[in-house]
Amino acid sequence: MTKALVLAERADAAVELAAGARTIADEVIVVAIADMPVAEGIADRVAHVTLPEGATVAAAAATVSAFWAAERPDVTLVEPTRHMKIVAGTVAAAAGTSVITDAIALEGGVASSMYFGGVGLKKQRSDASIITVTPGTFAGLEASGANAAEELAWVAPAASVTLVSSTPIQKSGVDLTKADVVVAAGRGFATEEDLGAAKELAEKLGGGLGCSRPLTEGVNWLPTELYIGVSGLIVTPKVYIAAGISGQMQHMVGCNRSGVMFAINKDKNAPVFKQCDYGIIGDVNTVIPAIIAAL
Amino acid sequence: MKIIVPVKIVPDDQDIQVAADGSLDYSKAKPTISTYDLNAIEAAAQLAGADGSVVVISVGPKSIDDSKTKKGILARGVSELYMAADDSLAGLDAFATASALAALVAEVGEYDLILCGDGSADNYAQQTDVQLACRLGLPVVNAACKIEAADGGIKVESVLEDTVETVICPLPAVVSVCPDIAVPRIPGMKDILAAGKKPMHAVAAAAEPSAIEVLEVKAPEQADRKQEIMDASDDNIAKFVAAIKAAL
Repeated sequence: MTKALVLAERADAAVELAAGARTIADEVIVVAIADMPVAEGIADRVAHVTLPEGATVAAAAATVSAFWAAERPDVTLVEPTRHMKIVAGTVAAAAGTSVITDAIALEGGVASSMYFGGVGLKKQRSDASIITVTPGTFAGLEASGANAAEELAWVAPAASVTLVSSTPIQKSGVDLTKADVVVAAGRGFATEEDLGAAKELAEKLGGGLGCSRPLTEGVNWLPTELYIGVSGLIVTPKVYIAAGISGQMQHMVGCNRSGVMFAINKDKNAPVFKQCDYGIIGDVNTVIPAIIAAL
Repeated sequence: MKIIVPVKIVPDDQDIQVAADGSLDYSKAKPTISTYDLNAIEAAAQLAGADGSVVVISVGPKSIDDSKTKKGILARGVSELYMAADDSLAGLDAFATASALAALVAEVGEYDLILCGDGSADNYAQQTDVQLACRLGLPVVNAACKIEAADGGIKVESVLEDTVETVICPLPAVVSVCPDIAVPRIPGMKDILAAGKKPMHAVAAAAEPSAIEVLEVKAPEQADRKQEIMDASDDNIAKFVAAIKAAL
């Protein structure tokens, strides 16, 4: 009987990974750390870890590592958050292996991940099959199971940090990874005020506003968590509108799996036009208001 | 504070070309410092202080032993470089990389902190920090956007997906930093000349075998896009809007 372990920090990721795990293994076990809510009926077993006072989620690594060694799952699917990357890495280090990271596809134990930010696609496998999986990879699959609950005994980490404070990041409203429409703004916007039109377009379409790196780094017109591309968000909306974005590979990696790609750029030679379905050659400051008026 | 910064030297991705069969051609890509390691070097240089020092360690194939790249490292507020350059150290996974880096850490001797970049330009696995920490038995913190001295070690502010966490981390420790932590300096001619006189240690290091098997690396197939590019006439705007509506 094959066994899959799911390591996630957020409830919706746990559901998706458990659904994916169900297609791979006979038994699915979800590890739930601290107060992560676990949806009904997604796994055969739900193993809960209680964090002691002052411990971060990553501090559960030793406990999860001991559980992994006891269960020896055939595959371990991990949500690629910062804390889970430490948890999975610790499990791997103890097992003498490495984590395969940020898979965008997983077939027959072979994971496909971006290489050089998307210049290449790398297909990898390992005997331990500990894999972080990007959101959306298992979209549309159904999770199932009786969620038999168990509590894992706390294993104190060999070396640890003390959590002093945890402050929620004030998100700018829309979760771009779940939005049907994403409007992304780039260097084609000359001033922060000009972004108002892009925001209005996003709102009118019921979506959210994101950006390329230059708008979050250096000028700080938009918060870092709205950056789309390498080391930022990977989004897959139905409609992606790249406004004033040249189409550098580092950005396109974050959006090139979107449904229909739209681009607005005043440079007719911008690389983005080779990667879009519909492109308008023009200044974002005149084209976007025209689009809003026509909607 | 004495800080070790593990740096990955990679082919410059700007010059990687895609061959006709979809394979990647690195022949024109010169070795370069993996982008986000520059932020780690700068953060280390700022954190080390006047009485501290920054030592860079690097492992990889023979091609990383490149004079210009080594000077580029030492010109950025780094006082010493330890490098293991051998073709047996090419394409290591994080477990194997950490085993080789640990040998270099032992060569360096005493240290307070190991500072890593956010992720490497090639794999961006974000795993070398945790693998190295596990091997050395040290605590690890990632996504650090602010580090300062504190009672009991360092105070680290990490920007995670939904929260900003502040932790007190005892030293020595392994911390990986987010790119925002520090803007890398651009070395002047004087820095580059001085870099040539700084100690560069060639070290022999063996790595444990990689556990990850790479089956294929190819340029991804581009999604077939319509590429209907038009000027901004009223008719075209209407067509553009209709296409947006049709896609929803």
